[in-house]
Amino acid sequence: MTNSIGEIRDAEFLFVIGSNTSEAHPIIAMEMKRAVKAGATMVVADPRSIWMTSISEKHLQLRPGTDVWLLNAMANVIVTEGLVDQEFIDENTEDWEKVRESVLRYTPEEAEKVTGISADDIRWTARKYATTEKAGIYYTLGITEHSHGTDNVYCLANLVLMTGHLGKPSSGMNPLRGQNNVQGANDAGATPVFLPGYQRVDDPEVHARYEKSWGVELSPVPGLNLNEMMKTVGDDIKGLFIMGEDIIISEPNVTKLEKGMNNLDFVVTQEPFHNETTRYADVIFPAAVFAEKEGTFTNSERRVQRVRKGVEPPGEARADWEIVQALANACGAGWNYTNTADVYDELARDADKFAGISHERLETEMHEGKTGIQWPCPDPEHPGTEYLHENGILRGKGLFVPVEYRPSMELEDEDYGLLLSTGRTLYHYNAATQTRREQGLHMKQSDAFVEIHPRDARKRGVSHGDMVRVSTRRGDVECRAIVSRQVRPGCIWMPLHFGEARANVLTNDAGDPITGTAEYKVCAAEIVKVADRSETKSGELFPGSYYQIEGPGYNVAEAPYGALKVAEEALRQPLSPDKPET
Amino acid sequence: MSDKSTIKLNGREYDFAPGETVLDVAARHDIYIPTLCHDPRLDAVGACRTCLVEIDGWRRLAPACATQLEPGMEIASENERIDRHRQTLLSLYMTDHPTDPAAAEPGAPNELHAMASHYEAPMDWGYMESLRDARPDDRNPYVLFEPDLCILCARCTRYCDEIEGVNAITLAGRASETTISTVDKLSLMDTSCELCGGCIDVCPTGAMGKKMPLVRGDKPERELDKVRTTCNFCGVGCQLDLNVDRDARDGQGRIVKVTSPPVGTTTNDGNLCVKGRFAYDFVHHEDRITTPLIRGEDGELHPASWDEALQAAASGLLAVKDKHGKDSLGFVSSSRCTMEENFLVQKMSRAVFGTNNVHQCAAT
Repeated sequence: MTNSIGEIRDAEFLFVIGSNTSEAHPIIAMEMKRAVKAGATMVVADPRSIWMTSISEKHLQLRPGTDVWLLNAMANVIVTEGLVDQEFIDENTEDWEKVRESVLRYTPEEAEKVTGISADDIRWTARKYATTEKAGIYYTLGITEHSHGTDNVYCLANLVLMTGHLGKPSSGMNPLRGQNNVQGANDAGATPVFLPGYQRVDDPEVHARYEKSWGVELSPVPGLNLNEMMKTVGDDIKGLFIMGEDIIISEPNVTKLEKGMNNLDFVVTQEPFHNETTRYADVIFPAAVFAEKEGTFTNSERRVQRVRKGVEPPGEARADWEIVQALANACGAGWNYTNTADVYDELARDADKFAGISHERLETEMHEGKTGIQWPCPDPEHPGTEYLHENGILRGKGLFVPVEYRPSMELEDEDYGLLLSTGRTLYHYNAATQTRREQGLHMKQSDAFVEIHPRDARKRGVSHGDMVRVSTRRGDVECRAIVSRQVRPGCIWMPLHFGEARANVLTNDAGDPITGTAEYKVCAAEIVKVADRSETKSGELFPGSYYQIEGPGYNVAEAPYGALKVAEEALRQPLSPDKPET
Repeated sequence: MSDKSTIKLNGREYDFAPGETVLDVAARHDIYIPTLCHDPRLDAVGACRTCLVEIDGWRRLAPACATQLEPGMEIASENERIDRHRQTLLSLYMTDHPTDPAAAEPGAPNELHAMASHYEAPMDWGYMESLRDARPDDRNPYVLFEPDLCILCARCTRYCDEIEGVNAITLAGRASETTISTVDKLSLMDTSCELCGGCIDVCPTGAMGKKMPLVRGDKPERELDKVRTTCNFCGVGCQLDLNVDRDARDGQGRIVKVTSPPVGTTTNDGNLCVKGRFAYDFVHHEDRITTPLIRGEDGELHPASWDEALQAAASGLLAVKDKHGKDSLGFVSSSRCTMEENFLVQKMSRAVFGTNNVHQCAAT
């Protein structure tokens, strides 16, 4: 995030795209609700209706995978109507002309045909974004989990730069990080290209510095990213060390990955729980969970915050850092860290961005009435950085990158007539090893499900609650159907959390050419009914925070919730054949 | 209106910004004004009347939370008249409230009790049975509403409306039967409730309580240790307090509940979601792996000592490196683990095994 979470409440315009904020980031959603309550305008662009669309001024329900068209058309409006911030562009950016030229072809009228959003709505949103002072963009994996995810991000960056919505409070470009420490893991150098602090492994100066610091020879060749690793598991990759990830639930195209896992020579995992991946492990180390160890997490707004030990781990389980140190030493490393503060000090020593941060400072200081310090923080006197690019853009000049639309790798066809997207719900978290062990969350959402539009459901003879088989070219899973207008006609949506109906058996492992991020959000799929609702075990089937099943003339989302059962029963009745679709 | 925006509070002069209330300025300068219904995140309603202050020239006392400042106001937040008012008010509150501290404070601290003893409010004004309805059949596992403790300050219903925005609970009924309820008295599980538990957090008396610790009969909050840490779910980085019973699990400690830090001190501003506030059963779950495990010749996993497991893992990984080369190894690090742990994994991959094939799990 270029802004801080606390700035959201002061925003005047929020463009939320590819983010189911109230379910994936509930606390950020509260800040957005607060902004809207104070009079801000929110526009949500998402193929699916979500809770946030219930308070948004407009919901741009675009066809999945057509974000480039939508965003370029918004840029087109901003350019053709003269709404650009020319002064900001002249002072702070490069290659403006290239983008100006390229977006001229993306007219709102053409965009309407591709995205399904009316040209008027595109114009309205573009004007509102460009002309509002405190306008911020908020996005998550709905933007990045595409084979053209990087293109989507460039498009957003172009909008930000051409309107000068950067380097100011409540006005910037804000990817909301999905996991507690995804920011910190990247910061710490757990990436094939970067050493800690985004220093390239193939930069001779960086390479030399780390060889000296660590006293060993280092490879200057960038490694394989996770997507590439997973594709060559069993072939080029013969041994895996896995700390805290259930790759069998989380990675795309799992059936292929499972075959590869069987061809590995050796697998080591560190986990608090058995999961699908530990079935392949040769050695498993019992790991402590967050409440049982010390360290830091870095959140979405680059804020480094302390993790503190509240209770002792069970049995012989140990903190991951202790295990990694012991394993490295068993391999002859000779490390001697006595605590995580030592580790952080070493990390900060060689990476300027974090040089001013230490456990000691995190323990004692408050900044802006908040705990933790936001990097960049180059020295121990520096208070940290609330929003980026305040005094000009960090890299020197903001680079405009023209983007041309590329369709998603796999689109619907005769055999697979629907587009599948996957995502997270409020009540579970990723592989759900933690959340499915929590009684209340399990009560609220016990079963896997797939959401399908009433029109598509009827064509396939599927009713609300039926057991269906969802299939793609890579495999199939069975789960129950929720017939709902939350999804667009032609689209279906599944949560990724459930081991018995693993969405990632279905997803496409085609990766973005730059980041390797897989296309979790679009692939071709089909649904057939396998068992009637009456034959399936009766479990709760609550789909999350926003419930919009549709019966004859009855919209549950707007009705008192006491009528839920009535509505579900109504859904069991056949719709009259001449009822017009809306 | 004079240019200089200042007021006098208890005889001292303070600056204020347009729109600020008496309570805002008092809070900024650590001047204690009691409130039961106020929360900085909510619109002021002036319902509980404990924050009444005296303003020169005003005939009646005015609520500090809802009275916007005007230049030149002279305000007293404590004097004999105000004390008398507060004593009377608190005594009235106590007439249908448990006076026994154990009954009044089964879980969270009871602000009403603390306030009543602070102002030495008489507690012998008789006791009326509360007529407020509970929802004893609510099968939700998180929130327990105890109507005897409720003072109808409506912090919970306003939080549900103004902050969480779901309007699952509301004030229902009239007069002395007014209570906190849901539509048709449904279980929270069947309403628009998202189980954020904000109602528990904002409740000043513990009428909204965390259900499991109360049902289990865990120690009350005042006997628990609070450990401030960072939530392990999404990327917002909410700060939360683990409330730990140190004596449980043979002195290893058990998390009884999670509470949120005070408003205005952390990124989450006192808020938490259902996962942050309630999803920690996994920590002490019986499914935890508690010893190192090695897969034997029989294909099954067997418990092993740490030394055995470390040796087995080291020789296994080194054997792959020797046989297929250093880049035949892949290291999957975790965005769920700490910064320090990720640092060590990438250092191990690079410095010990010589490969840059290291990536954190959220990369695809």
